[in-house]
Amino acid sequence: METEHTLYYICKYTPLELLEGLGAHTKAWNDMPAGFGRSEQLLGSNICGFGKALLDACLSGQIHELVLTSCCDTIRSLADVLRAEGTLDFLYLLDVPHREDDCSVDRFARELRRLMEAYETYSGRILSRERFLAALQKSNGAAAENGRREGCSAVPGQTSGPYLSVLGGRMGEQLFAQTAEAMPLPLANHTCVAGRTLPAGFLSGLPAAASPDDALLRWYAGVLLRQLPCMRMVDRTGRKPLFNDPNLRGIVYHTIRFCDYYSFEYSEVKTHPDIPLLKIETDYTRSSGGQLQTRLEAFAEEIQSTESARHHHAGQNAAHQPRTQTAYFAGIDSGSTSTDVVILDGTGRIIGRTVIPTGAGARISADKALQQALRETNLRREDIRRVVSTGYGRAAIQDSDQSITEITCHAKGAHFLDPSVRCVIDIGGQDSKVIVLDESGQVAGFVMNDKCAAGTGRFLEMMAGTMEMSLDEISRHGLKYREDITISSTCTVFAESEVVSLIAENKDTDDIVHGLDKAVASKTASLVARAGGSAPFMMTGGVAKNEGLVRALTKELKSAPIISDMAQLCGALGAALYAAEL
Amino acid sequence: MSAAEFLGTVVEKTNPDHPAASRRILRTGWEVQDYLFQHHPHPESFPADQYLAKFMMDAMLQPLKDPDHSCIVSIFTPCEMVQEAGLHPYNVEGFSCYLSASFAGGICTRKAEQDGISDTLCSYHKTFVGAAMNGLLPKPRCILYTSLACDANLLTFPKLAAYYQVPSFCIDVPADASEDAVAYVRDELVGARRFLEETTGRSIEEDALKARVKRSRESLLAYEQVQRDRADRFVPADLVTPLYSAMTANILLGTPEEERYVRMLQEDLRSALPKRGKHIYWMHTIPFWSDAVKKYFLFQDSAQIVACELAQVCSPDFDTDDPMLGMAQRLVRNAINGPAERRIANGIRHARDARADGVIWFNHWGCRHTLGISRLAKQAFEDAGFPTLLLDGDGCDRAHGGEGQTSTRIGAFLEMLRND
Repeated sequence: METEHTLYYICKYTPLELLEGLGAHTKAWNDMPAGFGRSEQLLGSNICGFGKALLDACLSGQIHELVLTSCCDTIRSLADVLRAEGTLDFLYLLDVPHREDDCSVDRFARELRRLMEAYETYSGRILSRERFLAALQKSNGAAAENGRREGCSAVPGQTSGPYLSVLGGRMGEQLFAQTAEAMPLPLANHTCVAGRTLPAGFLSGLPAAASPDDALLRWYAGVLLRQLPCMRMVDRTGRKPLFNDPNLRGIVYHTIRFCDYYSFEYSEVKTHPDIPLLKIETDYTRSSGGQLQTRLEAFAEEIQSTESARHHHAGQNAAHQPRTQTAYFAGIDSGSTSTDVVILDGTGRIIGRTVIPTGAGARISADKALQQALRETNLRREDIRRVVSTGYGRAAIQDSDQSITEITCHAKGAHFLDPSVRCVIDIGGQDSKVIVLDESGQVAGFVMNDKCAAGTGRFLEMMAGTMEMSLDEISRHGLKYREDITISSTCTVFAESEVVSLIAENKDTDDIVHGLDKAVASKTASLVARAGGSAPFMMTGGVAKNEGLVRALTKELKSAPIISDMAQLCGALGAALYAAEL
Repeated sequence: MSAAEFLGTVVEKTNPDHPAASRRILRTGWEVQDYLFQHHPHPESFPADQYLAKFMMDAMLQPLKDPDHSCIVSIFTPCEMVQEAGLHPYNVEGFSCYLSASFAGGICTRKAEQDGISDTLCSYHKTFVGAAMNGLLPKPRCILYTSLACDANLLTFPKLAAYYQVPSFCIDVPADASEDAVAYVRDELVGARRFLEETTGRSIEEDALKARVKRSRESLLAYEQVQRDRADRFVPADLVTPLYSAMTANILLGTPEEERYVRMLQEDLRSALPKRGKHIYWMHTIPFWSDAVKKYFLFQDSAQIVACELAQVCSPDFDTDDPMLGMAQRLVRNAINGPAERRIANGIRHARDARADGVIWFNHWGCRHTLGISRLAKQAFEDAGFPTLLLDGDGCDRAHGGEGQTSTRIGAFLEMLRND
């Protein structure tokens, strides 16, 4: 139960057992807010969202007692700001060494003593050895239970069997619940504070009962520092078991924007070819949830597909079952800009296709597009045996048998159009995606741009607006450039200001558009590299019609992407193919 | 297209297929600049600052010329031991600035981001990591770094050690300035010394080290005096000289060259004209590449940047009889270490020494600590009587521009100072 005297902590190196020995009721703080408040003003915008969320919680009176650790620059700054604000009853910044050698253990023991003395002064209570030992016994029990894998914390309650893991920067409670719900296998949380597990059997080294407090603290400091290391520690080899467990079936790798620690680990993990990996980045607010749902579902589909292959069920699905001539199947791709429908006959032949603007409502547009496709193919709704929906609005479409993410559908569609394709590039209105395919057309991995418009269709749309052009017009310019302008800003807002400056300098429209094409191509090529994509490439989505951009991308990728006349309908096609296989 | 832009274009075009050739081209470009610094220095600069430009350029050229006798360091690594071990230290901030100035920074940041490194990482570090992966940064003999003063140190250096497969050593610096902390860091430095001796096979002589640490202290004391002396003088100033000072006062501290620079500056100041325009004390790094900043501070009579904070983060108050103890005290008492109030108080003291008319606190994109405490700092500087501008930007990466905003903010700030 939370009270005014709940002592909150944020880091797994916090000496919880010692604090409980001092009579504190400890609780990890890991709550994702809907948005940020005064913290934006006090800490600034370009700071890790966790730090801002925690500051808001302190300022709102939600937190009265807090122990921080010197885990990162944001938390150090947070401690400075909180000290200046002076709103907390108890605030302590515990300096944790970056190593676990003997000198560091001695130093940490001194730090623990200082914390202990500060809390004793604040609370008026002194350390109870009995309570401290009881807390240690409790943690020892948890460590034994979780000690299934050597040197690695495990999934609580799961003693064996396949599982997925969340790694990286801390994941708030709400996002973890959302992720766990989307996944087809149990999900373990090994991010930051959630990974707090003292080493298995640590209690066997407990000093004798008569030993002085200093000996006890020194021993305890060593136990804390010997936990599975986080990325701030100098020696991180202890993290390897997190990636090498034979039961591990996939990793959701989470980073928080403006927290740099875990992008370095991600850059290493992503080269691990055996484990499906999903990288997601959030700003630590709940608003990220909706944007991430597509990725989580697509990853779940990828895991299911991998698991099926593992159990030798591949090839036994409906795709290889004979189709009947009389059945028809429809795929609806409800995108942010357009709603597309493809109808297949029982042999897999495309007999109908429609593209209409999405307009105000995904459901209404989907109905309209389907009706239009039916009219054009002289079919009735009851002639369609199954409908699969995909795209951003897929969940809103009631008239479908199943919804599948656009990532899986684009891969399916692209493989159908050209089985040689190994990488699909979809620059959409809301986001950009790069999907890597294996030989059988299954999704082998994918990345999407994070919460930023740079490199998306939206970026081009905004720039077109700045130049008082339509998207169609901007796609026709940029081919006959004379000056090779570089738009250097990666941020959409700054890029817009660069474009305004170029217009003011009277630069030629073709030259500016070429600069914009290069900027999008460069950002896209970065995504391709992050995904590990290789040629042959296929470009899907409406932006594939932009010749200037395609040319710039060809230069970046050193390979011309395949552009099918079905490029815009690739997602709907994939959905229709899945409808035929269900 | 300027010569630097041309160099960057050629390096960028050559690099993907011929990284070694692109490194040679970069080196040639820097050697040309080194020659120009020696024989055609900027005529408006004081002789001391002309000397400093050449001295700093030499330091950055060394790893390209002789990588096997070079050591990557973090900016606050006490480098007297590195120098005594016969290695040339070079740091992230310095090398990345030179890459950026050569218009070769973009290919480095892109490379790092393609590798999965966050686009919000400090651009000095991102450029450096990308340069390693592009082959522009040669393989060093070893890496010696401190946990002071930013998260990026704990990421960049281990990554590069693994990438190059070279030995590395981290000096862990506690946040508090206690005697316990000094003793702890002294032990760390003893370990670092052993590491350098084992890596190079060369023993570090105690007397020579003592002489270097003594020279470090004298240079720091002399620089403090220089800053007081320049308070009522006019020193023609550009954007890079304060940055050079910030680098040499850290990684090249203890060298005869650094001592010579400070002595030359003392000499130059004797014949300097009376103060003109406004004196600005600059906190954190300077976006030397920005035309908007150049417009107000590049050899202008109306305003000059009189110092960069990073040149004055080491207190000269340390022991010289026991060099290991002295260097430990310097590290632990570094103004950037520990709580924000220490850093802010240090900035106020030095702004006061230079009798600054105003302070610019530069919120370098990617430096979380500088960003996070900027509001506290503004309040504290203003309470101490220094009008303060919080300026957002990037010290290294042109892609994080916003030149229009920069120009308006600095312009308005200087107008405000003139109207006071």
